[in-house]
Amino acid sequence: MSLSLSVGDAWAPLPASAWEEQAVRHLLRRAGWTARAADVRRALGEGLPATLDRLFPPAAVAWPEPDSVAGLERDLPDFHRQVAQAMGEAKRKLRRDAFERSQAAVRDMSVNWMELAVVPENSAFEKWVAFLGNVFVVATEKVHNAAYVYRHFEILASGALGPAPQLAKAVSRSPAMEVYLDLAENRTGAPNENFARELFELFLLGEGNYTEADIKEAARAFTGYRIRPATGRFAFAPRQHDDGVKTLFGQSGRFGGDDVIDLAYCQRAAGAHLPRRMAAFYLGDLRLPPEYEFAIGDRWRTEGAYDLRWLVRNFFGSRIFFAPEFRGNLIKSPVQLYLGLLQDLNLDVMPVPRFVLNPLRQMGETPFNPPNVRGWIGGRSWINSASLGARRALVERLFTPLDGAALTADEQQDLVAARAGGKSRFAMTESDLDAWMALSPDQVLGSLQENFLSAPPNPEFLSQLRQFLQGRATDPAEHRRRVRRAILTALESPEYQVC
Amino acid sequence: MPAHHRTSILPTTRREFLRLTGGGIGLLAFGRFAPAFLVNSALASAPAPEKDRSILVLVQLAGGNDGLNTLIPFEDANYYRLRPTLGIPAGQVLRVSDTLGLHPSCAQLQRLFQAGSLAVVENVGYPNPNRSHFRSTEIWETASGSGDFINTGWVGRFLDNTCAGAPAGNHDPLAVHINTPNGEPETLVGSLPHPTFGLSPFGAGRGGSEESRRLLEHDSPSPGGGDQVSFLRQTLMDTLVTEVRVQKVLADYKPEATYPGNPFASSLRSIAGLIAGGLPTRVYFVTLSGFDTHVNQAETQARLLGTLSEGLAAFQQDLQAHRLDGQVLTMTFSEFGRRPGENESKGTDHGTAAPLFVLGSRVRGGILGSAPKLDVPKNQDLTYSTDFRSVYGTVLDRWLGSPSGKVLGGPFPIVPFV
Repeated sequence: MSLSLSVGDAWAPLPASAWEEQAVRHLLRRAGWTARAADVRRALGEGLPATLDRLFPPAAVAWPEPDSVAGLERDLPDFHRQVAQAMGEAKRKLRRDAFERSQAAVRDMSVNWMELAVVPENSAFEKWVAFLGNVFVVATEKVHNAAYVYRHFEILASGALGPAPQLAKAVSRSPAMEVYLDLAENRTGAPNENFARELFELFLLGEGNYTEADIKEAARAFTGYRIRPATGRFAFAPRQHDDGVKTLFGQSGRFGGDDVIDLAYCQRAAGAHLPRRMAAFYLGDLRLPPEYEFAIGDRWRTEGAYDLRWLVRNFFGSRIFFAPEFRGNLIKSPVQLYLGLLQDLNLDVMPVPRFVLNPLRQMGETPFNPPNVRGWIGGRSWINSASLGARRALVERLFTPLDGAALTADEQQDLVAARAGGKSRFAMTESDLDAWMALSPDQVLGSLQENFLSAPPNPEFLSQLRQFLQGRATDPAEHRRRVRRAILTALESPEYQVC
Repeated sequence: MPAHHRTSILPTTRREFLRLTGGGIGLLAFGRFAPAFLVNSALASAPAPEKDRSILVLVQLAGGNDGLNTLIPFEDANYYRLRPTLGIPAGQVLRVSDTLGLHPSCAQLQRLFQAGSLAVVENVGYPNPNRSHFRSTEIWETASGSGDFINTGWVGRFLDNTCAGAPAGNHDPLAVHINTPNGEPETLVGSLPHPTFGLSPFGAGRGGSEESRRLLEHDSPSPGGGDQVSFLRQTLMDTLVTEVRVQKVLADYKPEATYPGNPFASSLRSIAGLIAGGLPTRVYFVTLSGFDTHVNQAETQARLLGTLSEGLAAFQQDLQAHRLDGQVLTMTFSEFGRRPGENESKGTDHGTAAPLFVLGSRVRGGILGSAPKLDVPKNQDLTYSTDFRSVYGTVLDRWLGSPSGKVLGGPFPIVPFV
């Protein structure tokens, strides 16, 4: 790959003169889900530094605990008492019920998070938390406890813009992580290497920057990390901890887990690792050459003291982030496609889990359940014939009125509750098209391109759309139908799949 | 749906396209911007082999399947020393030789073994094993050495060799993947673009409306475009064409076996349907996940191996009933086996070599290769005895009929399972 900027210029701040409309759209679409006209105007007026301050606010966006999750946590001590007393089939039934309840809570929580993330003011922060969740991965497929997963994301959100080592230490104490990577099974004399390996390979350093011996020693250091069953919170069990001398990265001592994290952050590779993950997530499939990763990594370590806010500001504020080779060529994740569509169309998240989660699953991204510990790898892996079909089906659904009769009683109740809370726009209606009706075919196409498409469509495709819009324009009902279909088609097009 | 079929400007098969163009409609009927792949396929008139072609079905056991509890050396005292709680008693294994038995949930595989259509290759691995899921999966998918990095998959390179010059632009998929968690597996990636198709376990994805499809058909890929938008346009175009056809094939398919109700079995049912439907696809790839059993392995592995065994048996029976079994070879693989010594969590950690299964009517059944030596200290791993590239080489040379040297970068000894 040839980059337009040298390694020396890449991470310099974007000059104020380069802060124009297309640059604004690029930032808003990459850092958040989409670029609405009003948000573009506002950011253009504020300038880049102030916009970054607003996108990544000083305090974490609060995610109120969903009721179903709170209920699980409240009942946990009682549940453990009951399980301890029950025998045989009764015990199995208790466990099965708890599992099902947790599954339901996960679905509830997923929709709830989508509702939080779709709010434009929260978008960049929640996308950043989702990015961190794609580094410090846990998955509901293995962590059968919605409350643990919720608390994991609470840890990520509260440490999202603080010191990175502190976040890593908090993650090592996250009950969801303890379960996901078997840390709770790791004890003196019987180390389990799963967490230690992924800590180095995927969370902090990257492959090739540690030895098998480092992993074995790190596993010993992390012995004694436990979850207290009655509370579901972290507890350190000194008697399970291997207090002996360990040797890692050439240093020896009676290290504990936090020491291992500090030692890992002393490695030069730690500085480059998170920028590399950010580039893959926010810049796309083109990999930066290692010297570019080290250029920001070394500064992050020395100037930035591993502060995540420093990294965010220097990454999104850099010249390389806005370089032409990174414009309009990142394939949107299913979650971004979904939330971006809702924001572009000014719609609310449908409060019925299956209507939200089935399309996401078919597109290849079930929230809180990445396929494995590497997380979603993104880029072209999102796209195949099945997932493209699902992307198009989602757009069709957002233009189809909700069929109340097809809902269960519970779902109807959720819908009533949502409407009482002021959310009622779940699909595009006929009147939503009013503003478009006054536009000429060329104006419709211009608006579609400016507001929705980050890449220029094929001229032949545009001319077909134009012809389609011109056809039978004298029949108002037919014209309206055609405008609606043209918008739908633009949103199903390859050009809408990138940003 | 047939309605789509009639109104589309695109032909649904290459043959149909050739018929239309041969019938005087000509390329111009498809507009000045006829997709490059259609132009290519019109120029390359040699038909792809569609009859009696050999087909490979790859079954990925993702997560690292524990080999020692899959093919159990029940006469070896070391096995029970290494597996104090996870060891499966000799009385419970499903015997396939005097010293080896299959896991108790593999009854159907034992039956296929007895019928002579199942080969088990013992202790397959590679030198300098890597214990990372991702790196080791990559090594298996790209068929590289442990220290080499290749960015194409072994099946992709097979397609490069076999289909280059032939109608490479043919949009009938040459490889199909189903139920793969990360989209297209690296195995199928070649240095040339090949038409591949992805399916969800329960059939083709539902697309948008007919009218949008007709408009989108004009957003055709520009030749040679390597960027993400070109990639999306190419995928969309292939999808629009293939979608119509696949939906019809699967909707019309009448399986002649009862498949269990799980996504893995449904995927195999779809593969049988597509093979019976006469797609020129040479390789199918399906994933069964969840084998990363660090904790409480017994229950999880029993469930997964049961799913594998019953699914494969239904698939084989279905193929036989349709007289397609002679055309199909099914092979399992996993990124690594697990540590011989169980851990303290009633599970096993990442290991190295493990057995793999090869299934098919034309397979020479039996146990091949040699058993791992189990006289290892508690935390040590097995040393492989058959290189996985020997298995691939055999499939390429003796099944797919493509010289393995070009794909694998060198000769590897044949494992005579076919």
